[in-house]
Amino acid sequence: MNQRREPAFDRAVALVLRVGAFSCFFVMLAGLVAGLFVSGRIPVDIERAGVLLMLATPVVRVIVACFLFFRERDWKYGSISLGVLVILMLSAVFGIGEH
Amino acid sequence: MLTLLLVILGFFAGLLGALTGIGGGVLLTPILALHFGIPIREAIGTSLVAVITTSAASSSVHLQRHTTDIRLGMTLELATALGAGVMAYLVGYFNRNVLEGLFAAFLLYSSIMILSKGGKVKAEDELSPSANGDTVIPPYEPQRYPLGLGASLVAGALSGLLGIGGGPIKVPVMFIFMNVPLMVATATSNFMIGVTAAASAIVYYRRGDIAVEIAAPLAVGVFMGSLLGARLAPRVHTKIVVYLLVGIMLYLAAHLAIHLLRGGA
Repeated sequence: MNQRREPAFDRAVALVLRVGAFSCFFVMLAGLVAGLFVSGRIPVDIERAGVLLMLATPVVRVIVACFLFFRERDWKYGSISLGVLVILMLSAVFGIGEH
Repeated sequence: MLTLLLVILGFFAGLLGALTGIGGGVLLTPILALHFGIPIREAIGTSLVAVITTSAASSSVHLQRHTTDIRLGMTLELATALGAGVMAYLVGYFNRNVLEGLFAAFLLYSSIMILSKGGKVKAEDELSPSANGDTVIPPYEPQRYPLGLGASLVAGALSGLLGIGGGPIKVPVMFIFMNVPLMVATATSNFMIGVTAAASAIVYYRRGDIAVEIAAPLAVGVFMGSLLGARLAPRVHTKIVVYLLVGIMLYLAAHLAIHLLRGGA
């Protein structure tokens, strides 16, 4: 079961991670460069977008894998992926604190 | 100026991490706390962003070599994400000195573990079936899932507590206890780190413990450093780099301990 090789599946997930890593790199870099010329909130906001993009990448990766499992009618691993997604969502909900 | 220093710091952490196979996150947190005067909880949250960056970049390479067991990774992520999320939440109630002490202990422990293995840390060093670039993976069936899930819970909690990837726990658990080939264990651990770190990083972010002006230059540096490191890795004598890393880790552990003895924060 586990050692079943699915190149297309691997490639799809790899693409999500690659696009996420590279786009967040360039967005953050843009923020740093902007910081050289502009002061104030704009560079920080660009950097924030890069950080949020990075935090979102693993979540998107789980969503894509979940979708691919369900499309293959692999209910077991589709549900497991859904479980991981729920945990990630819960951490966003409970991540509120005033410390 | 500070921004440039952070890019350079990230670059070297990423480079060392990629060359040795030990995530650079273990260096970032204490250096940010000790040399940049950033409160340790913010240092942890901030280096988590760098950890996610490294995992995403390196995992996409492993995936294209088809050495990652996505099903196994996803299953164990149930435990790592839970452990990381819950621990990240609890860290909000931890005293700063406790965190620094735990981190110093962890650095010391990791250094001893690496030294006791004689500086051999890269899985690929021990198992290199890729004579023609093709990776041959023997058939296997992961075993002892309860044990694997339990250990993953602990690895996730450590990740959320210290802002590290937790690979040094996940890899041996999969390899030794779950009967997964070392190569697959390494790739799968790398794959899991992104989700594990994200589960806690989201909590840190919501609490205001990720300083974006610090995380961005750091992540930019880490990204470039790990790309270069991955290219250089086959040509660099790993052992020397590993000892360099251990030296820095021991220095940071001692520095943290002195900081605590002088009355901490």
